[in-house]
Amino acid sequence: MNRAAENPTGPPGTTTGCGPESAPAIETASLCKVFRDFWRRPIVRAVDGLDLSIPRGEVFGLLGPNGSGKTTTMRMLLGLLHPTSGAVRVLGRPPDDTRTKARIGYLPEESRLYRYLSPRETLDFYGRLFGLGRAERRDRAEQLLEMVGLTHAADRPVGEFSKGMARRIGLAQALINDPALLILDEPTSGLDPVGCRQVKDLMLTLAGRGKTILLCSHLLADVEDVCNRLAILYNGRIRAMGRVRELLRERNRLRITMPLLGPARTLELVATLRERYGEPVDVDHPSIDLERFFLDVVGSALKSGESASGAGRAAGLAEFLGSAAGRGETDQPC
Amino acid sequence: MLLRTRQFVALAALAAREAVRQPIFLLLTVSCAALSAALPVVLMHKFGEDGKLVRESALAFHFVFGLFATGTAASWSLSREMRSGTAAVVLSKPVGRDMFFLSKFAGVAAVAAAFSASAAASTLLSERVAERFVAEPLPGGYLVDWHASGRQWLAIGLALLSAGLANYRRRPFSSSAFGFLFLFQLVALAACGLFDRTGAWAPLRWNIDWRIVPAAALVTAALVVFAAIALALSTRLRTVPTVTVCCAVFLVGLMSDHLLGRHTASLPASAARALLPNWQNFWLAEALADGGMIPLPYIGRALAYAALYTGAVLFAGLAFFRRADAA
Repeated sequence: MNRAAENPTGPPGTTTGCGPESAPAIETASLCKVFRDFWRRPIVRAVDGLDLSIPRGEVFGLLGPNGSGKTTTMRMLLGLLHPTSGAVRVLGRPPDDTRTKARIGYLPEESRLYRYLSPRETLDFYGRLFGLGRAERRDRAEQLLEMVGLTHAADRPVGEFSKGMARRIGLAQALINDPALLILDEPTSGLDPVGCRQVKDLMLTLAGRGKTILLCSHLLADVEDVCNRLAILYNGRIRAMGRVRELLRERNRLRITMPLLGPARTLELVATLRERYGEPVDVDHPSIDLERFFLDVVGSALKSGESASGAGRAAGLAEFLGSAAGRGETDQPC
Repeated sequence: MLLRTRQFVALAALAAREAVRQPIFLLLTVSCAALSAALPVVLMHKFGEDGKLVRESALAFHFVFGLFATGTAASWSLSREMRSGTAAVVLSKPVGRDMFFLSKFAGVAAVAAAFSASAAASTLLSERVAERFVAEPLPGGYLVDWHASGRQWLAIGLALLSAGLANYRRRPFSSSAFGFLFLFQLVALAACGLFDRTGAWAPLRWNIDWRIVPAAALVTAALVVFAAIALALSTRLRTVPTVTVCCAVFLVGLMSDHLLGRHTASLPASAARALLPNWQNFWLAEALADGGMIPLPYIGRALAYAALYTGAVLFAGLAFFRRADAA
């Protein structure tokens, strides 16, 4: 057994730097998780030799089909599952260290809320776990409720909420401590396209303020829209990893975009290109994606003053979700 | 340290609040109160001590309904949270597993105490309704205190009505009803100190059998022990298996003196008897017969037994929970 396996939350071999503040946000080395049955017989190897290093300030996407080990990986990063072998460090410390947890925000796959608490009580409860004072808890709760568009439903039991509304309050609870690292499992699941766009914009804004985000999603468009880098898991192993643009770029094709020329000039241009370079040329109109089209339609309806039930309009980013750099949470040189 | 105390209080308060807001908890509490209130009306008690049967039956309701209330509360607050994922969210915050487990116990123990306070108030009221106090110059034969009985039923009805009104103002029905039930039963008890059994004004002639209070306190101690057992089992079992095993532990513990007490020479039998909770230590209703009292030293020993047993069970539960996957 290697050294890392003997100390599953010990320092991975790749760790360098001069302390927790300079370490990568997430680091795993040969991480494995085997689930066992009641008789301790192995049932499934959910994660198999995972090596990850996510620097601070990055938005990293974890992709994979069902059962590929994404959620298990996330739960090991949070100290909820004990690794069978391998090593994990989060923000330079073991994941079950309360100092680490104090700087993490976690949104699970299902929103996992106390169904008899109202959103306001929910946020107050989680704020208390972080040792926030009464006035600060109240202030942050109001800001977050406004941010996720649930001020009007702040005193209703969460158990009565639709999935999308529960998702919003789940996101709010993940942000109550103004975390340096956000771990989001399917954050847009159950949200309408407007909500999805708001969550993606929120992630981009938070990333712009120096937060590290680990995003786990089946929705490839979400990952493509917000992530700097991604890894694709299959059967608990990484099958591809790299920068999103690098991975998706078609290196042997080129697209030229230009203003509309009219049929005759277009045909002339195509003929010239074919004649001069001898390569096949395709011409079409670029199209906006369905999400953009949907948002335009709903935006027009909103402008006309039509009201909707359920979650209200979300406001901008909560004020207290300030710049991480301002509090010394970004990478510092040794 | 201050942060940890705050976290502990927040988690325990949440466990208690979630348990009290469960409809099943209200159902058990109101059933216990209503059945206790019905006892003096439906029981034929002509055994020379009118209050005895009512007192013992009401304490039995307190015990049995309390077992279900604390068993389900303990199981829901841990087993269900672990399966539903709310435990995972809480444990992703800066909260240690030991604190999470112990705060759950504190919350459930508080629920057991609150349930017991309500059930004890019901028992005191029912006994007052049924008991023909010999000190009172009453005509011979059985006399029900219909005035106290009316106030007892009124307390239940008013509690539900008030909770309905509170619910209209967006307050949770179950916890509001429980709070109002306790409050109105206290008011009904206080009214007993102002009127005699015929309804005449008689301030400060309580005619309440306060000897019931230590007996109810012992039942509460049993419920706390039971909560610890249910919580420890919940670290590994789901709700239904937890409640089933708890019922088995209750029945075997109740019979342990009878089943194992005869085999004192046998080491396994002695060990099993020591390991099983002996519920008979907490059931002292018969001691109140014929004007009897529960001796104070006995109460101290029983509470010490409950504390030691609870501590041992929680220690085992903690060991299980530390290695449990919370997902």
